[in-house]
Amino acid sequence: MVVRYKMKMPRLTTLAPIAVLVVLALFPLIGIPLSWLNYLFSFFIYLALASMWNLLAGYTGLICLCPHAFVGLAAYTMAIGTWVGMPFQVGLIAGAAVAAIFALVISYPVFRMKGIYFAIGTLVLPEVLKQWFNYWRPVGTAYQGGGAGYSVIGLAGFSLGNKYWLALAIAAASIFVVHIILRARLGLGLTAIRDNENTAASSGVNIFRVKLSSFLIAAFIMGLAGAAYFIHTPKIQPSGGFSISWLLLPLMATVIGGEGREEGPIIGAAIVTFLRFLLADYGAWSLFIQGIILIVVVVAMPQGIAGLLRRVGAYRFPVKLFQAAEGKIHKNLK
Amino acid sequence: MEDFLIGLAAPILRGIFLGGLYVVIALGLSLVFGVMKLINVAHGDLVILGSYFAWAIMGWLGIDPFLSLVAGVPLFFVLGFFVQKFIINRTFRISLDAALIACFGISIIVQSLCQIIWTPFNRSLTTAYQLKTFAVGPVTISLRYLLNFIGGLAVMIALREFLRRTYLGRAISAASQNEPVAERMGINPNRVYSYAFAIAMACAAVAGVLQGLTFYFSPASGSPFLIISFGVIILGGLGSMAGTFIGGMIFGLTQTLGAYLSGGSLMVQMLAPYLLVFVILSVRPQGIFGR
Repeated sequence: MVVRYKMKMPRLTTLAPIAVLVVLALFPLIGIPLSWLNYLFSFFIYLALASMWNLLAGYTGLICLCPHAFVGLAAYTMAIGTWVGMPFQVGLIAGAAVAAIFALVISYPVFRMKGIYFAIGTLVLPEVLKQWFNYWRPVGTAYQGGGAGYSVIGLAGFSLGNKYWLALAIAAASIFVVHIILRARLGLGLTAIRDNENTAASSGVNIFRVKLSSFLIAAFIMGLAGAAYFIHTPKIQPSGGFSISWLLLPLMATVIGGEGREEGPIIGAAIVTFLRFLLADYGAWSLFIQGIILIVVVVAMPQGIAGLLRRVGAYRFPVKLFQAAEGKIHKNLK
Repeated sequence: MEDFLIGLAAPILRGIFLGGLYVVIALGLSLVFGVMKLINVAHGDLVILGSYFAWAIMGWLGIDPFLSLVAGVPLFFVLGFFVQKFIINRTFRISLDAALIACFGISIIVQSLCQIIWTPFNRSLTTAYQLKTFAVGPVTISLRYLLNFIGGLAVMIALREFLRRTYLGRAISAASQNEPVAERMGINPNRVYSYAFAIAMACAAVAGVLQGLTFYFSPASGSPFLIISFGVIILGGLGSMAGTFIGGMIFGLTQTLGAYLSGGSLMVQMLAPYLLVFVILSVRPQGIFGR
């Protein structure tokens, strides 16, 4: 029974993220500068995308080059939904659902492809969608649709603080989902597939179903994050919704932060957000510098920053501190 | 009916000729793919870089774009050698994924560099003969499409002779057929990779000129060429020159016939090759001649 009593006290490692979340959620209320809310909003969106890309590339071994298909589809669904009288909150969920359905539809052909073929097969899809949306005009007059795109309407009264909380919730959900998946049967299946698909199959892992689960989850949350971004910037065009930068962002964040590590996307997304705003005024130079950084990271530290931190043992001290604090709390409770 | 057939003849001829351009691009891609099993996702952007290089030389010295290749091909060759040596070989040792991401980085760098130097406006290589046409019976053909075909044929034959007759060419073929055995025969794989990438870059320089004569180009217009030439490789098979040539023709035909039959719709012209690639990949996930 003593054990049971001990279990009731939540562990510090559980409490710490909740505390961070609460502090972040309080930010709009304590009146920090609006520009900071803006930066953090982008950070959360990039974080959600990156942690999903990490789930696919780092844990499932799917180098999926089509996040922009999910983002664009979800954002377009939401925008068109608001034009036919849907509230944008419903549109947001519907958009994510459409992204997941799209993932389901393409899953059968793309999962037959392996490695490099999978990468190119997925790279084709957003290009096709971009061409299609360049000509498609389901609602609106001749001034909307096609290359001109749609604006999201009915957003009046949805303040920056609300958008901030929405993005925070999506980012927190994405990290939580990855955390849970990795500790469930699904996570074991995923890493087994990544490390060796044939061995995983012969050990009884249903490869198609496991891959599909992570693909659908990633598509749904990427769609959610992308649509949320277009609530903040309420104008979507084919060139913006299906822009390759929706692929570049999560890819860079994951690779810089550390692929296949839970904390990697967080570090990477912070760096990418910082770079984006730092280089925002330099146009094409910004992309140029990001490309150079990407190559330098891949060549010099393929494990990313998280891997580097682990190697030099930077986590040892905080973990010790945590354990010491936890020990003290439990002692006092007894 | 007869009118329909005569009308059909022009897009068919144009498609076959356009295929030559895709063959040149695909040959470079397939050489790298053959030895490293890596798709260089920057290849389309390198082709566009080739177009811009020819455009810049044309503006600077006022010479014909084909003459600019005298400088362009060696320059791209050397550039490719060092890119492979210092970037891709290093990442390739880590994993295939890392190399793919490095290629993606190169693609971003090349694209933004083109935009910084030459602005994002549409350009084309304008020459006196670019818009010339000639008639074959009832069909009129643009000279630039014929140039694509001749260029494709010339590069293909040159590459084939190189792979058959020179030591380096045989080393590349050997490495792409069976690398461990080739390595045991004394072939240094890293060196072979470097030369393969260098030749791929030289092909990109040639393709850049042909492409620039045929279409308008902007820094972002590389990705269709990457996807189409990837399609050509999986259709034509690795290491088969004739297969690559036929694959190029098929993609050229898909594009021109798609546009013709849909009444000149730009969307169909762009979508048809993409859908073809996706369908081939879904039906035969390892490519048609995949092992």
